[in-house]
Amino acid sequence: MLDKKIKNELMDIVGPENFTEAKIDMVSYAYDAMGSKGTPDCAVWVTTTEQVSKIMELAHRERIPVTPRAAGTGIAGMAVPSHGGIVLDIMRMDRILEINIEDRICVVEPGVVYADLQKELAPLGFTLPTEPGSSIVSAIGGNVATNAGGLKGAKYGSTKDYVLGLKVVLPDGRVLKTGSRTMKTSSGYNLTQLFVGSEGTLGIMTEIILKVVPLAKATKTGLGLFDALEDAGRAVIQTMSSGVIPSVMEVMGRYLIQAINENTDLNLPEVDTMLLVETDGYTQTEADAQMEKIIEIFKKNNASEVKLAETDAERTDLWAARKSTYPVSARLNNSILVEDVTVPMSRLADLFREFGKIIEKYDLKVAMCAHAGDGNFHPLITYDGRDKEMVAKVEKASDELFKMAIAMGGTLTGEHGIGIVKAKYMTLEHGETAMEMMRVIKRAFDPHNILNPGKMALDG
Amino acid sequence: MKENYRFEVDFGEQILRCSVCGFCQAACPIYGLTRRPALNARGKMLLLQEILNGQMALDQDLVETLFQCTGCASCEVNCPSGVEVPEILRHVRQEMVDRGTCHPAFTGMNDVLRTAANIYAESQPPDYMEKRKVNQRAEHVYFAGCVGAYREEKATEATLDLLDCLKVGYTLIDEVCCTGILEDVGYTLHSSKAGTIIDRVKATGAKALITGCPYCYRTFKNKAQFRGLAESGIEVIHISQFFMARDFGVTTDQVVTYHDPCDLGRHGGIYEEPRTTIKKIAENFIEMEHHHAQSLCCGAGGGVRGGYPSNSIGMARRRLAEAEAIGADVVLTECNSCLHNLSNAKLRRQKMKVFTTPQFIGHLLEEKA
Ligand SMILES: Cc1cc2nc3c(=O)[nH]c(=O)nc-3n(C[C@H](O)[C@H](O)[C@H](O)COP(=O)(O)OP(=O)(O)OC[C@H]3O[C@@H](n4cnc5c(N)ncnc54)[C@H](O)[C@@H]3O)c2cc1C
Ligand code: SF4
Ligand code: SF4
Repeated sequence: MLDKKIKNELMDIVGPENFTEAKIDMVSYAYDAMGSKGTPDCAVWVTTTEQVSKIMELAHRERIPVTPRAAGTGIAGMAVPSHGGIVLDIMRMDRILEINIEDRICVVEPGVVYADLQKELAPLGFTLPTEPGSSIVSAIGGNVATNAGGLKGAKYGSTKDYVLGLKVVLPDGRVLKTGSRTMKTSSGYNLTQLFVGSEGTLGIMTEIILKVVPLAKATKTGLGLFDALEDAGRAVIQTMSSGVIPSVMEVMGRYLIQAINENTDLNLPEVDTMLLVETDGYTQTEADAQMEKIIEIFKKNNASEVKLAETDAERTDLWAARKSTYPVSARLNNSILVEDVTVPMSRLADLFREFGKIIEKYDLKVAMCAHAGDGNFHPLITYDGRDKEMVAKVEKASDELFKMAIAMGGTLTGEHGIGIVKAKYMTLEHGETAMEMMRVIKRAFDPHNILNPGKMALDG
Repeated sequence: MKENYRFEVDFGEQILRCSVCGFCQAACPIYGLTRRPALNARGKMLLLQEILNGQMALDQDLVETLFQCTGCASCEVNCPSGVEVPEILRHVRQEMVDRGTCHPAFTGMNDVLRTAANIYAESQPPDYMEKRKVNQRAEHVYFAGCVGAYREEKATEATLDLLDCLKVGYTLIDEVCCTGILEDVGYTLHSSKAGTIIDRVKATGAKALITGCPYCYRTFKNKAQFRGLAESGIEVIHISQFFMARDFGVTTDQVVTYHDPCDLGRHGGIYEEPRTTIKKIAENFIEMEHHHAQSLCCGAGGGVRGGYPSNSIGMARRRLAEAEAIGADVVLTECNSCLHNLSNAKLRRQKMKVFTTPQFIGHLLEEKA
């Protein structure tokens, strides 16, 4: 419970209408897309760097936990106020401050929704190509703080590759600027990247300078059907080492294909493994030539069928199939868990096969898909969240998956982040020394551990 | 201690199926305006999940969100998990009212309709009835609805003028409110008023009941209390369907856009009929950023205009900003309630005009004459 004096101070900073401790708000701020663990004492809607700075000064002085929150679509509990205190909602900081195509940058506030930025960039022929699956709702602040990625990671990388500079409010209220508006710099420590993926534990970003890139002018979409996972796995590896980098390369497994067919009119062929692939380029010839090469590789690896989208309608249908993955899976039962372990590409087929055994062992229903081009595995586990036995099985399966991915030289998370749910595996991936260095960094920025405590195993 | 709730029986599974993904934030007009997650569909479903888990009670503290929803169904259309939020909320509100919790504006509305014939408790018939056929035999009955009769009479009059001009055989009736809205805000539809409407329409011998109001359209078509209309072979149609097949012989080069009323579009599936008419008259027809099933709500529905007027106007302003962004001279809609809210929200600097389609056609005919 916060005392009245502190609440009054908060109201003085943001205005009483931008402060809440109403029950309805405390419930919604207790959750992100992972679920809930802890309820805040109050929440504030901020609109300026100055307000954020004053709030942090107060929180620092009074040792109050502060959890920054953007759209709340994180799926690892990163924006969940596990230690109570203040939720600092940045979604009203939603101005696009500048789009400067000559410098190839844009400057935005953290609450700008990804899709809203794209709407402004597209008519200028530019894009921020990270496009997470949550693009219509998640905010740039959340994307940067989680180093979000998307379908196009293999060719275009993830959010970290586009952040050039930041304005950040530190846990004690001081304001820091990092990076620059330039395409490159080799000046000093790269503080910008320290904040990327830091899940709101080091500072609160209030301005973000992003690099933008030209929109591809032409694309080609194709589909490879495989009767054996091994064949598809080999096709992916050979494609990615052939000199052609597809802009998208998605794997979908049989159970997922069947679920899509049962719930849509898409009528996909129910094969063991499907590879959905897109190439892009400056001209259609360029996109087509890359696709030809990929098709050749698919055929060489026993694809039972290869299809090319010849019309816009066919292309739309293929993407509708990929996009329906989450909605279709989400309707299969009342709970869904999406994992995103990532392994070296050469190990992806092994991971698919080995996780298949785990699924069998625990008798789980799992829609298997992956961003194959960058080794990012996305199994969607659907289950009855009221069935305690089932929940325990899902936890065990996840536990085994994490350990397996790390053993294969992979990482716990390719794009979703650590938050609360994966915190206990941090040492397994990074080792004691790296964890100690992360904690040293955390303490240097936030000696009282008030900024988003309880995340990423940094509390120790 | 968890209580037993009626809504759990029919909707418990669905409420639990909300995977709290937050995608509805992209679509909800109230969240878009306020950026307050508690008002969004996810915020509402989270509260219901907590209630079903026995962690909180269905009490007065929840009114502010559970009664603040325009029922626009944008969340439902975009929900990956297929959660039917407006339908769930209707049932939850009824249970809240049964337990003595409600928003005062809606208690007031229910009280008014207990004795009055319309939601505004007006006792005089609207002026446009004076020189027209009322309660007489005719092929069609035109039903304006409360907003069309008492808040946007000019729009209704323009529609009737157009029917006159096309020499349509129609009669008006002495209207009583369809009371469909009461079901949305926790109360029950009045069977007696439904009976009165059915009897009065039947007495005219009409084959079709044309509504000016998309909400009345939904109510007449879908509610059990109005089954008598279909059973008597009376077809319910919205005025936009009726006008689609007609030619008016007027055109304009003004930039025209169309605002889909939620009750007609997402709830009624009527998107193309109004556009067919509008495209016949407007050579410069442009869609706003959000249209058809993704249309942005004007903020008036679900009793929000009465219960939360400033947020209601705020939502209308967001919609008008979309019209402004495409340089619209004219915003057309097919709902008097949308017309009312959008017109009230228009800023002085915004020069565009807001009309119903029949009203605009009427203006063009006048100009031509
Ligand atoms: C259906 C679904 C699909 C998804 N698909 C993808 C996908 O394809 N790729 C992907 O990467 N993710 C995906 N996600 C996860 C999620 O959308 C991303 O993690 C996203 O980046 C979170 O953004 P947000 O705005 O919701 O942030 P939030 O969840 O609100 O916050 C995330 C973290 O950012 C911190 N934060 C927010 N704003 C600031 C700030 N201004 N300063 C400092 N810290 C801040 C918070 O404290 C928190 O730690 C998906 C989620 C769902 C539900
Ligand atoms: S979109 Fe549907 S499943 Fe997702 S939070 Fe909203 S209501 Fe729940
Ligand atoms: S029906 Fe409309 S206003 Fe109500 S929660 Fe859904 S999107 Fe929001």
